[in-house]
Amino acid sequence: MYFLSGKAMPRRQFLQNLSATIALPYLDAMIPTGRGSRILANKAPRLVAIEMVHGAAGCNELGSKLNLWSPAAAGKQFDLAPTAMSSLEQYRDYLTIISNTDVREAEPSSPNEIGGDHFRSSATFLTQAHARQTEGSDVRVGTSLDQLYAKRFGQDTPIPSMQLCIENVDQAGGCAYGYACVYTDSISWSSPTEPLPVIRDPRVAFEKLFGVGGTSSERAERRRTRRSILDFVSGEMSSLKVNLGPDDRQRLDKYLEDIREVERRIQRVEARNQSGDPRELPEAPAGVPDAFAEHVKLMFDIQALAFAADITRVFSFKMGRDGSSRTYPESGTDKPFHPASHHGGTERGVKDFNMINKYHVSMLPYFLDKLKSIQENDGNMLDKTMIIYGSPMGDSNLHNHRRCPLILLGKAEGQLAGNLHIKAPDGTPMANAMLSMMHTLGLNDQTKFGDATGALNLNSYA
Amino acid sequence: MKSLVAASVGGLSLLAVAIIDRPDPIATPALTSPLATSASFDPLLSDPPLRPSAPIRRGLGHPVLAPAPTALAASALTDVVKKTCAGCHSDQRKQGNLSLQGFDMTNINGSPELAEKMIGKLRAGMMPPPGRPRPGGDTLNVLAGTLERMMDARYALNPNPGTRTFQRLNRAEYERSVKDLLGVDIKAESWLPLDTKSANFDNIADVQTPSATLLDSYLDAASEISRLAVGDPKASVSTSSYRIARLASQVDPVEGAPAGTRGGTSVLHTFPADGQYVFTITLHAIPTGQLFGSAAPFDEKIEISVNGERMSVLEVDRGMSQADPNGMEIRTKPISVRAGPQRITAAFVRTFEGPVNDNIAPIGHSIADTQIGSQAGITTQSHVQMFAVTGPFNPTGVSDTPSRRRIFSCRPLAPEEARPCAEKIMTRLGAQAYRRPLAPNDLKGLLAFYDAGAKDGGFELGVRTAVEALLASPHFIFRVEEMPAVAKPGSRVAVSGIDLASRLSFFVWGAPPDAQLVSLGRRGLLADTTVLIAQTKRMLADKRSNALSTRFAAQWLRLSDIEKVHPDALQYPDFREQLASDMVQETEMFFDHLVRENRSFLELYTANWTYVNEDLAKHYGIPGVVGTNFRRVEYPATSGRVGIFGHGSVLTLTSHANRTSPVLRGKWVMEVLMGTPPPPPPPDVPDLEKTGESKEGRLLTTRERMEEHRANPSCRSCHVFIDPIGLAMDNFDVNGQWRIRENGTPLDTRGDFYDGTKITNALELQKALLKRPTPLVRNFTQNLMAYALGRRVEYYDHPAVRKIEAQVKANNYRMQDFIVGVVKSDAFRLKKVMEQADSGTRGVSVPGVH
Repeated sequence: MYFLSGKAMPRRQFLQNLSATIALPYLDAMIPTGRGSRILANKAPRLVAIEMVHGAAGCNELGSKLNLWSPAAAGKQFDLAPTAMSSLEQYRDYLTIISNTDVREAEPSSPNEIGGDHFRSSATFLTQAHARQTEGSDVRVGTSLDQLYAKRFGQDTPIPSMQLCIENVDQAGGCAYGYACVYTDSISWSSPTEPLPVIRDPRVAFEKLFGVGGTSSERAERRRTRRSILDFVSGEMSSLKVNLGPDDRQRLDKYLEDIREVERRIQRVEARNQSGDPRELPEAPAGVPDAFAEHVKLMFDIQALAFAADITRVFSFKMGRDGSSRTYPESGTDKPFHPASHHGGTERGVKDFNMINKYHVSMLPYFLDKLKSIQENDGNMLDKTMIIYGSPMGDSNLHNHRRCPLILLGKAEGQLAGNLHIKAPDGTPMANAMLSMMHTLGLNDQTKFGDATGALNLNSYA
Repeated sequence: MKSLVAASVGGLSLLAVAIIDRPDPIATPALTSPLATSASFDPLLSDPPLRPSAPIRRGLGHPVLAPAPTALAASALTDVVKKTCAGCHSDQRKQGNLSLQGFDMTNINGSPELAEKMIGKLRAGMMPPPGRPRPGGDTLNVLAGTLERMMDARYALNPNPGTRTFQRLNRAEYERSVKDLLGVDIKAESWLPLDTKSANFDNIADVQTPSATLLDSYLDAASEISRLAVGDPKASVSTSSYRIARLASQVDPVEGAPAGTRGGTSVLHTFPADGQYVFTITLHAIPTGQLFGSAAPFDEKIEISVNGERMSVLEVDRGMSQADPNGMEIRTKPISVRAGPQRITAAFVRTFEGPVNDNIAPIGHSIADTQIGSQAGITTQSHVQMFAVTGPFNPTGVSDTPSRRRIFSCRPLAPEEARPCAEKIMTRLGAQAYRRPLAPNDLKGLLAFYDAGAKDGGFELGVRTAVEALLASPHFIFRVEEMPAVAKPGSRVAVSGIDLASRLSFFVWGAPPDAQLVSLGRRGLLADTTVLIAQTKRMLADKRSNALSTRFAAQWLRLSDIEKVHPDALQYPDFREQLASDMVQETEMFFDHLVRENRSFLELYTANWTYVNEDLAKHYGIPGVVGTNFRRVEYPATSGRVGIFGHGSVLTLTSHANRTSPVLRGKWVMEVLMGTPPPPPPPDVPDLEKTGESKEGRLLTTRERMEEHRANPSCRSCHVFIDPIGLAMDNFDVNGQWRIRENGTPLDTRGDFYDGTKITNALELQKALLKRPTPLVRNFTQNLMAYALGRRVEYYDHPAVRKIEAQVKANNYRMQDFIVGVVKSDAFRLKKVMEQADSGTRGVSVPGVH
């Protein structure tokens, strides 16, 4: 078994025999088992990459004058009160604001692409690469930050990474301007040509992470049955081996190793459950809730639980969808999201849109509270996590991609100082900041990413 | 990898480069000028010494075969190869990564792989490449024939039926097995990962790599399916969603929906319990958030029905918007539904008939273009995006369902009857699931689960738990074949009767064997060839043999690729998902007809008939077909369609969204039909898209753009094979409709087939191909064998392929003769015992370099 031998299978070699599609199993087969955990040493930070679409009101001239997104002062003494991030004041020690970076790869590169910003930006956010304009299956952009991380460090957990979203995907409004819907729907790309599907239903995400079953006792019951079935299957396989040729026996041995791996996963979940903390939701969610806030909170609950149980360490979370006309009445304006983002540069329009930005950011403290309340070994989960929140668009009124919103939350295992506003020099690519984030995550040998021109110190405002 | 494909790829690249080295052969005055580069090779000497007077033909194309000797001495053939082939295939040049400089006919028995490679190229007539001198008469045929005889004789001395590891049930086989066993319709994709394909097929054993995730998926499936089959009175509330494709027309009625409806979706949904369920519809919006179709003259209605019975009618408010509290969702009140499979439908109520196009024709009534969804003057229809079922609320129990009837063949009336009844149930289900009678130990294992479950929750829970274990058992999931304990490594052993029953049934039915087959296998009667053939014929007559078209032919012909092509909505407004699936169905029914009626394989190419329904007939311009049912029709004389070259499926799946691709079509013919794929393009070839779209003020046709592109000699060397084949089909547009112009310019589809035959249309292409049926027949046989055996066909199988070819040729290549031929072959009935657990030839198992 490869992943028990400690040898990684070269991907090219694996591909030699395959003509077309590769499914899930290759993830397992190519992972050198045990190796991950030695490197990881429980020190790989948790990562949540959140994308909000449509930029921010603070990214146009008027908005920046009013400091609706980035605060006036760089460094530690910044004032959050006028900004859309005022709800994060209580967490300013965990907050790193990176302002004034550009997502130039989301800009049009040929006349045909002009106007299609809404339909390609999301694909650019975590890849910082330019999307090939196509409606066919020959999509191409780049490998996303979260996936580069998951490939290296996510393999020690039962699930390497998970992709969540709030808005319904594949709605009308995508697939315009000659762009395939996946560019609008997927922020996580496992390779430049492989967008990962996203999960919108909290129930589906929950079951993938914690197993099937409506209540925790039902899930426990199912795990019990699963374990006795595993015993049964492994007994059956052992008896089968007797009458087989050597090749078949070898393959059965591989399956027997797989059984032990599945058992290990179950034990891991059970060990977590016996630690005394109420880690599981008492009731699995029934489906997608009606209200935005409720849906977002449920998704945050699930992410916090998964981190606590160490089932995965990597999430990407798409909180909006380009072109969405959803309204957020609790924000104080009932203007639909996309029309509001075309605020026309008027003071009234900009301020209304800012209310929506502010409302979106105000979802975060709930998640931060949760993470902070989870203790693991030497610290709380927020100390161990890096949350990226940002948008690949800047001034949505103009569809530009300059001076885009980008913040970090959490300390990433003590590697982020927090309480910092870094104002990047004009013209700095957002990719520079992301390259540094990857270094923070332990991908030290990453020297290139998107259109990055270099790294950006995330702990200094000089 | 030593697969056939790799071998032929190498072969063609060799000929490809060979051409570059020479100036345009037509421009070279025949016979008089020496060859530009192969100075050591005088074309005049290319004739074999025995036939000095044979005419020498130069230029594109082959000589007309003249009567010639039927046998040549080994030394003469060695000379032919050295003179004809070794110029390019030399130690220095090694075209196609092959040297024939030291070729010696008397030693060829030691290089069977090389010999088979040469046979393939020679029989396809592709070597020497067009324009290269070749020996006169039928010298090359004699060479090929001699090589074949030597290889066949070699095989006869030491037959090699090949070997592979055991197979597991792939998605399709799993679905059929569960349906057979429990009577539940499931979608295996809900649990099992995508099957890895190799050599076209999804059942190739050695790439069915084990993994923990895979094992977990089977266990998840077992757990859920056992609950669906038995029912789950304690099921908690959850949501299942069904998505409707954007390209699905909302004007056409969908299959399974009640009469008088249009669009929407209709699915067989298995409800876990009797209880109340809420149905939710999500509609498409236009980019600014309003309903797609908001300009309709009145509010549409959507009917929710269960088994055809109307349960609820939902009003679609034209003013609805994403900005509303419920967004684009509309839901029903809770509706009581019983457990088990029920057909649920959400579809628009059809409120008017007749033409619905007004000022501007709507884009095929699909949602390929979203911008027009609120324009006045265009009758757009709202589109259902998703149909979801949430429940059960207040489950009241589980009533009778087909799967429960199938499982509970007895009912305990007293406590002491429970266990014997469970034993009876599991003995029956177990034998069916394991595809053999149960051994005492098998039953013991399953009943342990019954006991555990019964202790917790009574008889039903006990049976459900035992069914879960049954579905998780390796005896069910794996198709393990027994190896006699005394088998000597390297020897050949017969596949046991029970295992042969499964081989046969998964080959012909794509499903587990029935009782009769298992019984014959168990009693050893399938070893009798007469019985084996009779069973094959019986199975072919059964309707389950349609798996040969929906599984084998669909994969061989790559029909699923049609999902990847989304024809440009503005150029091809009539394209919609229903049409694409009609096209696939056409090809599957066509193939099924060939098999069922035992027609000649060659009809795949020559048929002047096909299967269509009204929509497809309209699309093809065939008059007089009404209704949704498919029927056999003859192509009108002027249709230009012939055999499979007239099928919309093939023509669409080999196109780009906005233009046809003679390259993709040519490649498809060479790869899929002939088994001689062109090599992949070298890196840094300029993209056709980079060639200008227009010249001298007008748009170029695809052909003109290709010719610009092909001016590059490194492209030309391969495209001289590929393009003429594809161009001959260029009268069919991206979605398979007839055309005579492209971008306003009359089409020019003329070209030279690689043997020099002039071809301008599909009919002539088909005739040019059938001049040489051998590669077509062999390639089909190889694909059929690979699918039947669950392994790639290797060079050592070629003698067996030729044997089948000879058998089927006798009776004009009848389809069932091919299938019987494969079943009778050694490779199907025997297997070679592995020398040791050495798996060096299997790519997935080669130790990693780390």
